[in-house]
Amino acid sequence: MRTEILEKIKEKYGSRATDSSFECGLYSRDLGPVPGLLVNPLFNTTPDLVVRPSHAEEVAEILRTAYGSGIPVTPRAGASTVYFDSVPIKGGIVMDVNLLRGIVELDEEGMTVKVRSATTWSELEGYLNRKGLACKSYPSSAPAATVGGWLCMMGYGLGSLKYGSMLSQIKSIEVVLPAGEIRTLTSETEPSLDWFAGSEGTLGVVTEVEIEVRRLTAMEHFMLLLADESELLNVMQAFMNASVTPYNLHFADQHCLRAMDKLGFGLEGVDSGCTLGIDYEGTKEELEQARKTVEAITSENEKVTRLEDEVAELEWDGRFKALKLKRGGPGVLGAEVWLPVKELAGYLAEVQTMGPKYHVDLFSYGHVVTPEYITVMTTFYADETRTIPYIINLSLVKKIQDVGYRHGGCPYGVGLWNTPYLNRIYESARLAELRKRKQQLDPKGLMNPGKVYRPPFLMQPLTYGLGMDVMAGVQKLVGRGGSR
Amino acid sequence: MTERNSFFTTLENEALICGRCGCCRSSCPVYKIIGWESAAPRGKISLAKEAFAKGDKSALSDEFVKRVAQCTLCGACASECATCIDTRSLWLELRKRIAGLGKQPAAYDAIRETLLANKNISNFENDERLEWAEDLDEPEVVEPRAGAEVGYFVGCVSSFFPQAAQIPLDMVEILTEAEVDFTTMGADEWCCGFPLISTGFQAEADQFIKHNVEKIKEMDIHTLITGCASCYHVWKHDYQEELGDYQLEILHNTEYLARLVKEGRLELNELEEVVAYHDPCDLGRNSGIYEAPREIIAAIPGVKMVELYHNRADSLCCGGGGNLQSVDAELAEQIAQLRVEEVNASGATILVSACQQCEQMLSTAVRKAELPVRVMDISQLVLEAL
Ligand SMILES: Cc1cc2nc3c(=O)[nH]c(=O)nc-3n(C[C@H](O)[C@H](O)[C@H](O)COP(=O)(O)OP(=O)(O)OC[C@H]3O[C@@H](n4cnc5c(N)ncnc54)[C@H](O)[C@@H]3O)c2cc1C
Ligand code: SF4
Ligand code: SF4
Repeated sequence: MRTEILEKIKEKYGSRATDSSFECGLYSRDLGPVPGLLVNPLFNTTPDLVVRPSHAEEVAEILRTAYGSGIPVTPRAGASTVYFDSVPIKGGIVMDVNLLRGIVELDEEGMTVKVRSATTWSELEGYLNRKGLACKSYPSSAPAATVGGWLCMMGYGLGSLKYGSMLSQIKSIEVVLPAGEIRTLTSETEPSLDWFAGSEGTLGVVTEVEIEVRRLTAMEHFMLLLADESELLNVMQAFMNASVTPYNLHFADQHCLRAMDKLGFGLEGVDSGCTLGIDYEGTKEELEQARKTVEAITSENEKVTRLEDEVAELEWDGRFKALKLKRGGPGVLGAEVWLPVKELAGYLAEVQTMGPKYHVDLFSYGHVVTPEYITVMTTFYADETRTIPYIINLSLVKKIQDVGYRHGGCPYGVGLWNTPYLNRIYESARLAELRKRKQQLDPKGLMNPGKVYRPPFLMQPLTYGLGMDVMAGVQKLVGRGGSR
Repeated sequence: MTERNSFFTTLENEALICGRCGCCRSSCPVYKIIGWESAAPRGKISLAKEAFAKGDKSALSDEFVKRVAQCTLCGACASECATCIDTRSLWLELRKRIAGLGKQPAAYDAIRETLLANKNISNFENDERLEWAEDLDEPEVVEPRAGAEVGYFVGCVSSFFPQAAQIPLDMVEILTEAEVDFTTMGADEWCCGFPLISTGFQAEADQFIKHNVEKIKEMDIHTLITGCASCYHVWKHDYQEELGDYQLEILHNTEYLARLVKEGRLELNELEEVVAYHDPCDLGRNSGIYEAPREIIAAIPGVKMVELYHNRADSLCCGGGGNLQSVDAELAEQIAQLRVEEVNASGATILVSACQQCEQMLSTAVRKAELPVRVMDISQLVLEAL
């Protein structure tokens, strides 16, 4: 039955559907560098069929058919996530939504734009900039990430500190619910559009998004060098409390800077210390005020040096290239932690005591995304060509998350691999509410199964934690991370 | 704007560096048309990683080889790469490895055989290199001559393909008008070697490079100009080792013409046209030359210059690069069509480029789309303004 249905979809969508193992294999992974040895015995990540609908009606038809036949469907857009968010774990259909791209309409008076969901953030920003407008915020994966994909993830990135989460900027969305019903949702409808923020493709497929835009304004970029991380938090908070809110506020610790330097990406005139980058956009008056703020904060603190403006501009130009740190690996593992800003100093100090214990260099960098929270990425090199040591290295990802947890943090995003941390990510009442929504919209559990709501059997927090701790113990005794 | 730095190490290492983030995906013209993950740069690199870095030879399937050949080498993915992989070098290395294993597409063998037999990419013998000059009033001005101030490396397409022959004719007229002491290499000009490099036959290309450098030295030429974006890129990069410390200034025609305009050696008259410039990938993104052609166009009184939606480093490929036409002419045409949609939206009456391959691809696509737009080389535009 399942085979026949899949065959029918394949036939109907012709060159926009495939079950070839050559193609399907490529849809069995995202960025997550988890070895097959670990994944394959547990999950069926290879789709039976990949299909590329080009409009909402086609999405609806495919979902209706799949729903009626009990076939799981995993939406996939930019696939720029790492937790197997857009990778199926029970085979079935991968719905590659990338044909749903382009601008639907711009409302310059209302300062909103309606886009098809798989438009990338770079495409949208490029379009708006030509009209004298800009996105309020976007992820630092903008060339890859889609508007719908970011909505379905956490939606914090560049610009969030000033303009709030992506969700707060959305006016309406068009979605196709799991059984194939096409709906336009706002904050007033039932369900409300906010159900879809962070839903990771588990509640349906978003086909259009109407989002607020801003006027394109001039920018100013600043880069400060601090002697070490002890002062970082104070300076950061001084910027957050100043009268002009930065568009983007980000740091890189000294280990990160050193690694970049080794790779030939070092900052001119910097051989030690950590950096704080501050990017402003706004009116002439705001930018003037911003400059004064930077001058005041730097002159007050002798541990802070302001780097040349060109250094700050180069850093901004390279804002989508943080991944270049990977050149030193070439394998990299890491954890992204949603951390209270006030805990940053403590977190970084503890992470640094952890590195030598486990024989790895840990590099951290991050973006302040709300007045209270910062997303911190802590990474280390690991050689993926040496499978067993690499698997042992993976246990350190949990150790980093544990440090984050001790400082009030949790993983940023769930997908599959962060399901063991669900009780850290959500309070129990919130999790119960999310499960209720899932039950209401997708009672058969066919949309992107295995993600977000419950860990799979072998990844229950207790067993998972124990397994990881044992491996981390091995790493401590004999392990080595590092580049090849 | 300067040229992109290359951090390329080895195929194996670069394939392992790729983080599969997909930042290269949306800008790839081939992915835009095909739409499957296997056509996206990251998909191909994933397979290259399996085949070469992880030694899984089963990944080296015919389907994969086909995807590797379905690439215009436009370099858009290299500009976007979040880990600074020089993907253009990676594709070339991949094609070399594939050829090394004898798994290259049959069309590549045909290209290789033609080049080895004729020393050019056409079916004509290389002795006929200067046939195009027969249309000049004084064909002898292009006869090879040692010690000239400037050597004009015409390139195979302009030398042998009638659609492109207007380019050298116009260039000769312009150089004569500016009283430049120039010459050509005549039958001693062999293909620059790019069609061999881009099909994976590096060793064969090296013979061509060696030959051309020898001849340039023999002719005592110290300034070389060329109108082909790929010849220019190859001379600038792949010839350097062979040139050693021989002093050779290598300029694209656009750079040289911009210089002549600046020096007042060419007087440009009014043209009432709306002109858009298409940045050829090998001249713009892959060599960092964006301003010279724009300076020339801006120097023509009366011309209104408009930019295409994607321009300079973001320019969209014409579809004609990387020998794509030899393996998938339809795909190349579809890519050209994407570019022509931007030309249409720009309101241009003239579309100018600085590469005969771009001109050929875009002329065909403009004709197909029935647009009232003339497609021409920058030399033709300059000549019209003289
Ligand atoms: C270098 C780099 C930088 C990054 N920076 C940030 C950052 O600043 N902030 C941040 O939040 N994340 C960041 N990310 C993570 C990721 O890029 C973003 O979350 C991104 O928004 C995901 O979008 P996507 O289009 O790639 O979605 P995908 O990865 O394809 O999908 C993400 C999830 O959404 C679902 N989904 C996708 N599209 C739809 C749709 N139309 N309808 C329903 N469900 C859908 C999928 O099933 C999956 O569960 C970064 C990643 C990288 C590699
Ligand atoms: S070089 Fe151009 S065509 Fe080839 S993969 Fe990169 S972007 Fe695509
Ligand atoms: S942008 Fe670079 S690192 Fe990212 S997938 Fe493409 S090639 Fe790989």
